[in-house]
Amino acid sequence: MAGFFTRGIILEQRKEPALRRKLRTFFNANYAGMLFESDFPCDGAALAGEQIIEIARLARIVDERDGVLLHEKLEKARQMGIQVVVGDAIDDEPYVSSQMNPMLFLPTEAAEGLRLAAKAVGNPKIYFAVYKNLNDMDLKTKIPKDINGVEIRRIHGRYPAEIRTMDTFDKDGFAMLVGVCSLIHLYRAVYEHRLQSTCFVTVAGDCVVNPMNLEVSIGMTPTQLFERCGLAEDPGYVVIGGSMTGTVCEDPDSYPVGTMSRAVLALRDEEKKRRYQCIGCGRCVEVCPESLTPFYINRYIELGKLEELAFYDMHRCIGCGTCSYVCPAKVDIADNIKTARAEIERRRPVAKEAD
Amino acid sequence: MLQYEQKAPYVRNRDSAFTFMMDVVIALLPLYFMAFYFYGFRALMMGLFSVAAAVVSDVVCLLLEGKKPYLRDISSVVIGMILPLMMSAATPYYVVVSAEVFAVVFVKHVFGGVGQSVFNPAAAGFAFAAACWPSQVFSYPAPFSSLEVFGPVSQTLSNGPSWNLFQGGVPTIDVLDLLLGKFMGPMGLTNILVLATCLFYLLFRGAIGWQAPLSFFAIMVTAMLCFPRVPESGPMSLVHEATTGMWVFGGIFLLNEPGTLPKRSSARLAYGALAAVFTILFQRFGQMEQTFAFALLLTNVFGFTLDRNSERLLRQLRRAYLATRTKHSEKKSAQRA
Repeated sequence: MAGFFTRGIILEQRKEPALRRKLRTFFNANYAGMLFESDFPCDGAALAGEQIIEIARLARIVDERDGVLLHEKLEKARQMGIQVVVGDAIDDEPYVSSQMNPMLFLPTEAAEGLRLAAKAVGNPKIYFAVYKNLNDMDLKTKIPKDINGVEIRRIHGRYPAEIRTMDTFDKDGFAMLVGVCSLIHLYRAVYEHRLQSTCFVTVAGDCVVNPMNLEVSIGMTPTQLFERCGLAEDPGYVVIGGSMTGTVCEDPDSYPVGTMSRAVLALRDEEKKRRYQCIGCGRCVEVCPESLTPFYINRYIELGKLEELAFYDMHRCIGCGTCSYVCPAKVDIADNIKTARAEIERRRPVAKEAD
Repeated sequence: MLQYEQKAPYVRNRDSAFTFMMDVVIALLPLYFMAFYFYGFRALMMGLFSVAAAVVSDVVCLLLEGKKPYLRDISSVVIGMILPLMMSAATPYYVVVSAEVFAVVFVKHVFGGVGQSVFNPAAAGFAFAAACWPSQVFSYPAPFSSLEVFGPVSQTLSNGPSWNLFQGGVPTIDVLDLLLGKFMGPMGLTNILVLATCLFYLLFRGAIGWQAPLSFFAIMVTAMLCFPRVPESGPMSLVHEATTGMWVFGGIFLLNEPGTLPKRSSARLAYGALAAVFTILFQRFGQMEQTFAFALLLTNVFGFTLDRNSERLLRQLRRAYLATRTKHSEKKSAQRA
């Protein structure tokens, strides 16, 4: 029950039809011959750690968690002496299940990929991490205890859960998180010498008829994905990324879906422009997982007093969007903070030159 | 495709400022029902006049400021409903209306409107009325006396039990009557059981936080139990003070007004405690029978300072915690090496 006392919000996960459905492929090219050239044997057991990292480099695998190249990440982890490698399938945002679904439907590849990554780093402990929501009622899919012998740890508590991942593995030592999708690509690179040319995305939202997880070619557009899954109505707006932190896609006809996209959501425009003035209720302060004071941060941003923001430790904001979620006045606090941070970043060198 | 300016997060809580304030309105309705039960239609007319005055002055102020009046912003309705409940049911309408206009124009809008006010508008309105027309506001009709809806009231008005307490005497009203609110007092404040229900409703709905009421009521109840104002036993003192005083109503509806309440939990606890201390001091040394509104107005001044200092404390704690964490991880890596 430790998670019950964490700060944050309880979200309806809305993952269900997409998470339960089988992972499907949707390509616009034939990937049969897209291999990289190398003399390494197609067998993970015969490879040494450095060779696995070299294969990750040749296959150009990008970790979908943070956009870092996988070989750089593994190399750094090897130097630091990581004690735990965690396959990240947390997916704590509503609608998004593009890490959980491939882990459940490609268990051999995910587990073997994790073992390969662990071997590259120097054989530490391995786990998968999956988010356990406080109300898992809407989750019809059973999350198993382990995937091909690799234990699954559940990250308990409220949204945002990703920031608490390190606490869960704190007892085991230094942990490193690697996205499950990049582990699957690592497996394919080692056993089939395949380049990373696909990515996993969830196509969902309240306008989509058949929400599902797809393995698509990198560079396909949201419109193509919606044609595959079907649209019940014209979406109000299209979101790339999670429903809490994603960005609005201005041009769904030509935006290329990439490794970091993770989800493409077609959402109905329910709330037109029903905005209120801030009433000062302080709910944003109650839920902030970093114990910040979004109320005053937002007020000083609105007043234009950016120099006050350092006092309220705005740099510690993780951009999870819980403050905007709970705000009864529907103030875009998280977006204001994002804009103000960019503004401060833009002003900094000018201030230095003035000195 | 429609392109509204949508910003993350794209899923939002269903609660809005409207539902937030509607909860308070719903909590106030039973109090109006009880006032209607005791004093007839005049109680409802008081509420109606007050709400009308609040809404009209709010709209006029908004138009003068060049803003667009917004139907779903019902904060002025809430102020309009709270204010008459603190007054006698026989208060002339012009007193209620002028107190309301003062509250909305000079306390709400002068400081910048919704959520910006430094002082609680309803408490300031009551303080204004109590200072200008004390005889009208504090002389109460007997319950179940049918008051004239319009014009001056013909019933004899007298001081309630709160006056007895203020003078240092012990009220001679039956305890059951006190608990059921069947005695002379402000039209909405006498029903302690209904007020307790309102408190639980608001807490359950999340319309008010638990921190400020907790510290406020804890200190008030302890003070009433341990140090009675008049020569009587502790529990009896608590019953008398809680049923006749304005602080129970104030601790629920006035203290938790979102605009003036501090935002951090620790600041809220301190704020409630400060309000309790001022209330007790004003009760003991004040020159008026209902002093909670004045005590609250004084506490309002400290809201921002409490928040600021709470933040300062939090900054230090956060830095200390981060320092220990870095030390911990350094130790770990040293052990490995």
